[in-house]
Amino acid sequence: MTPRAVTGLGIVSAAGVGRAAFFEAMRAGAQPAPVDGQLEVPGFDATRYLGDKGLRSLDRLTKLLVVAARLALHDAGLKKDGAWTAGSAEQVGIVVSNAYGSLEAITELDRVSLLEDARYINPSRFPLTVANSAAGYASIWEELRAVNVSVSDGNCGALDAAACADVLLEQARAEALLVGGAEALSEALVLAFRKLGAVPPPAGGDGALVGEGAALLALERPDAARARGAEVLAEVVGYGTAFEPPEREAALVHASPEALERAIAGALGDAGLAPGGVDVVVSGVSGLRPFDEAELVAIRRVLGEGACVTAPKRALGETLGAGGAMGMAAAIAYLREGARAHVVRGTLPASPRTALVASMGYYGNASAVVMRSV
Amino acid sequence: MLSRVYVTGVGVVSSIGLGREAFFRALAEGKSGISPVRSFDTSQLGRQLAGEVQGFDPRDHLTQAEQRRVGRCSAMALAAARMALADAGLDAARVAGPRTAVVLGTTMGEAQLLADLQHDWIVHGPQAVRRSVIPRYGSTLLPIHIARAIGARGMVLTLPAACAAGNYAIGFAADLIRAGRADVVVTGAAELIQELQFSGFVRLAAMAPERCQPFDRNRQGLLLGEGAGLLVLESEAHAQKRGARPQAEVGGYGLSCDAYHITRPHPDAAGSIAAMRAAIARSGLTTDDVDFINAHGTGTKHNDLAETKVVHDVFGARSVPISSMKSLLGHCMGAASALEAIGCIFTIETGLYPPTIGYETPDPECDLDVVANTARRGKAEVVLNNSLAFGGYNAVTVFGRPGVLPPPDPRFAQAPGARPAGATS
Repeated sequence: MTPRAVTGLGIVSAAGVGRAAFFEAMRAGAQPAPVDGQLEVPGFDATRYLGDKGLRSLDRLTKLLVVAARLALHDAGLKKDGAWTAGSAEQVGIVVSNAYGSLEAITELDRVSLLEDARYINPSRFPLTVANSAAGYASIWEELRAVNVSVSDGNCGALDAAACADVLLEQARAEALLVGGAEALSEALVLAFRKLGAVPPPAGGDGALVGEGAALLALERPDAARARGAEVLAEVVGYGTAFEPPEREAALVHASPEALERAIAGALGDAGLAPGGVDVVVSGVSGLRPFDEAELVAIRRVLGEGACVTAPKRALGETLGAGGAMGMAAAIAYLREGARAHVVRGTLPASPRTALVASMGYYGNASAVVMRSV
Repeated sequence: MLSRVYVTGVGVVSSIGLGREAFFRALAEGKSGISPVRSFDTSQLGRQLAGEVQGFDPRDHLTQAEQRRVGRCSAMALAAARMALADAGLDAARVAGPRTAVVLGTTMGEAQLLADLQHDWIVHGPQAVRRSVIPRYGSTLLPIHIARAIGARGMVLTLPAACAAGNYAIGFAADLIRAGRADVVVTGAAELIQELQFSGFVRLAAMAPERCQPFDRNRQGLLLGEGAGLLVLESEAHAQKRGARPQAEVGGYGLSCDAYHITRPHPDAAGSIAAMRAAIARSGLTTDDVDFINAHGTGTKHNDLAETKVVHDVFGARSVPISSMKSLLGHCMGAASALEAIGCIFTIETGLYPPTIGYETPDPECDLDVVANTARRGKAEVVLNNSLAFGGYNAVTVFGRPGVLPPPDPRFAQAPGARPAGATS
């Protein structure tokens, strides 16, 4: 890919809302306390950022995403006090990853339909059940008219969104793009994780903390960012992805070190970076043992035994469709904000200059992104 | 140098026929796929009709292991992918490997699996939820099942772009090839009709009681449909090397977002106008080159008015034949624009414009050259596939007869500051 400047960050996470709070939490190594195996965005109040009009018809997923979009646009200096200061609605778009859509809205409507009568479902809530609803609302709330792309690739999706954004910018379909993902906690999501034995037992042990949040990075061409005098937080410079199915015919869920190896090698090649040139790996290690082990094997095989590996999902939770975007945000914290927390292997150099963000999907899919400081 | 992108194969699972041949014949005949819904009870819902796929048996197309892994949406997509590869004359050895990607569009993917899980949970409690079903839900899985079946090892990606999902997927797939990121991309979209969506459209008062009559003065709304439309896209070099016959070339595409209302198109249609203009400009063409428009044409009052405005604004005084396949298939949501893209290939291959059936009373507010009730023969060098989707997503794709389109415009591939005039998206 062509290097892309990150000029802003909008983040709503268990470890803080907004760039400053998030970076502070990353520096402090904050470990938000899970409740019942879940890491929610504590005390999330959308009205603080969006006012109190028009929120009633929105679900949590949409609110998380719209707040992240608003924060990202302002952080990037594209907007000030809600008005465009650089660029315009026609020049700015959004590329959002989400894994499962609004399970909250689907459950709400299914409850009415199954326990009362399908004729009573609330038509104003029905649009929320559509997979690209949150992204659609984000464009309405924040006036993003250039393009609006929704991406779904499990917990690799937000990294894939960066690759989509690269193509869209390359083709001059937008001057700036908000790129990342969003996922909201819901009863159904937590139940699914529990049923699959994917959350840690109350006494502790293997399992991922189910999380939520939204993270969007403002991406622009570096020359365009410079021309408007924007602060550049980091650059996204490489992307790779791969798929390797399980050999056993009956299997579906699959942790593939081979897929991640190819994704990492592809991302390094794309960035023109040698394996020894990676200063810090922001892994997707979350506590799900088979996936964590496969991921660490892949990282070791490509980057060697000494690579420094971090696991911010331990603090942020497994945020699925938003996971890769949280990872890219964490990478910026390591590259320019002096964060040193969540290292699970190796030693973090004093001034890391390059970061590799990795994601392993649950079906043999894997993606990786290379970022560097400027 | 940017590669040209060819369509070398198509595969279809639809309410009017399985496979290219049956689908093309049905389009030529103007066959309706609308029938009473069988997969769930509609007796209390106020509406009973849809374009349900009733002649599809996964056992005819999928291995036993695949049948156990997939939901019905993926089953349709996988069957259509196999048909498309066979149509392209591509065997497993030629598509296996990291240079083949799978990019699929959908709105809700395996909505039926989710509905089943929700039913067990809500009606019978959490203990009734079947653990083995959970990992099979998720629209992420659509391209994964296909990649696994055909040996593709490159990018697997789902673009849940609602009713424009097919155009989004085809457009992005073409980008991957144009920029040299893949040689072959299996792309398109799939969707199934599920009870919750059906009820939702009824509650939105968007569903017609009997017929979907796009652009007709007495149109009463949409009917839902389902199916899968899959295409094999290939780089020029890859197609040439194996001596494949290109069926059509994928031209440029235009994207925009209304940022206006979650379900309704913008009344002044500025976004869709920009998207259509961009698609034509990005193909190196002018409006005079466009022979036919495969409409979004849902049959709702708002959509057809907005679409009429788009066509008038973009084409001015020129009258371009336009038709909506939704009159035959119903609105196949995520799969709609993929099936309509295959309709564009049909037009290029046969010189026929598929008809808008049920067109009886012209609407003075939709004063377009609608291909009424029977297929029409006409020039078919360049056709345009229009979609205006939920969420304000607009996507328009251009298809050309092989040899007709100018080479891909390098000005659209990263030359800082070289944005061509008038091409915002």
